[in-house]
Amino acid sequence: MNAPRKVALVANCLLNQNAKVCQGAHYRGVVSPVVEALRRRGYLLQQLPCPELAFAGVRRWWAVYEQYDTPAYRDHCRRLAQAIAPRIEEYLRRGDEVILIGLDGSPSTGVRFTSSAPDWGGRPNRPQDDWQIVPRRGIWIEELEAELARRGLPRLPATGWALDMGRFDEAGSRRDLDEFLDGQENAAASPREDPAAP
Amino acid sequence: MSDDARGWRIALVPDTLINAPAAISTGLPDVLEVLEVNGYGVLQLPPPGEQRLLLAVIADQVAEYAHHGYAVVAIGVRGEPGDGLHWRRLAPLLRHRGAPLPPRHVIRPEGEASTEAQRLATFLAGYDLPPEEQRRWRV
Repeated sequence: MNAPRKVALVANCLLNQNAKVCQGAHYRGVVSPVVEALRRRGYLLQQLPCPELAFAGVRRWWAVYEQYDTPAYRDHCRRLAQAIAPRIEEYLRRGDEVILIGLDGSPSTGVRFTSSAPDWGGRPNRPQDDWQIVPRRGIWIEELEAELARRGLPRLPATGWALDMGRFDEAGSRRDLDEFLDGQENAAASPREDPAAP
Repeated sequence: MSDDARGWRIALVPDTLINAPAAISTGLPDVLEVLEVNGYGVLQLPPPGEQRLLLAVIADQVAEYAHHGYAVVAIGVRGEPGDGLHWRRLAPLLRHRGAPLPPRHVIRPEGEASTEAQRLATFLAGYDLPPEEQRRWRV
């Protein structure tokens, strides 16, 4: 019997900022604060595919949830989910603790938040264009979670690195992530606590 | 893209180099750290086994980068089947997508970790697309 491990599923661009939409990269490649926080706590890393890169290309325009909410894009996300789900299932079946770190504010990979503007379309006009941050999953995360549910797998504890929330606040994102990871450690520890212990 | 920090360089990296098992990790350099210091992004390759769909998905991404001015390399590790790079399956997938095969660097686990880290850093620092290709895309 292999000892259970800790595994973090990470958004593609957390290991590779080249996947970001033009003008969206805040690091050269690896988002080191996320990787450091996870490795320090003993997590193995499993990178997720980037759905936007393979669909709309590396030179795509900025977009919001509503623009990607099409049957073709959801089909594409389901294909990617089917490609990565066997890896995730393997971890869960062997008893590993699996968490998901997405990218908050992203129309695809948002976990706590995604970006919304029902009237966006036509010629992009950044930075005049305005959009809302709304509390919901991005489309890729919705489809990934649906694929895992179809396989009878439990819903994963999840959070997002707040890179796409308008103004990026690295210190705040780091605090949020630490808080989430501390919560995971406490949750994992509590069933084994002996209430009678001093 | 003046306010964009991307490094325009990406490495394909086997799972075993990202999540080195404790038993062999002593002989391996910290590849993620070397990549980070050299400004490379990472595309993680799955462990050996049947990963047909996932490799096709990864090949799609590599081709997209290769066609738009990004430098892509592959970091293998000796001792894994195919150096951990799934080359026999990945190479035809890339050819089919019209993407060149990335140059390969192979880590030697039997070597000193610090020496291997230095060899890797030298390889990474020395590789990029020709200047005219960089100028064409990276504005």
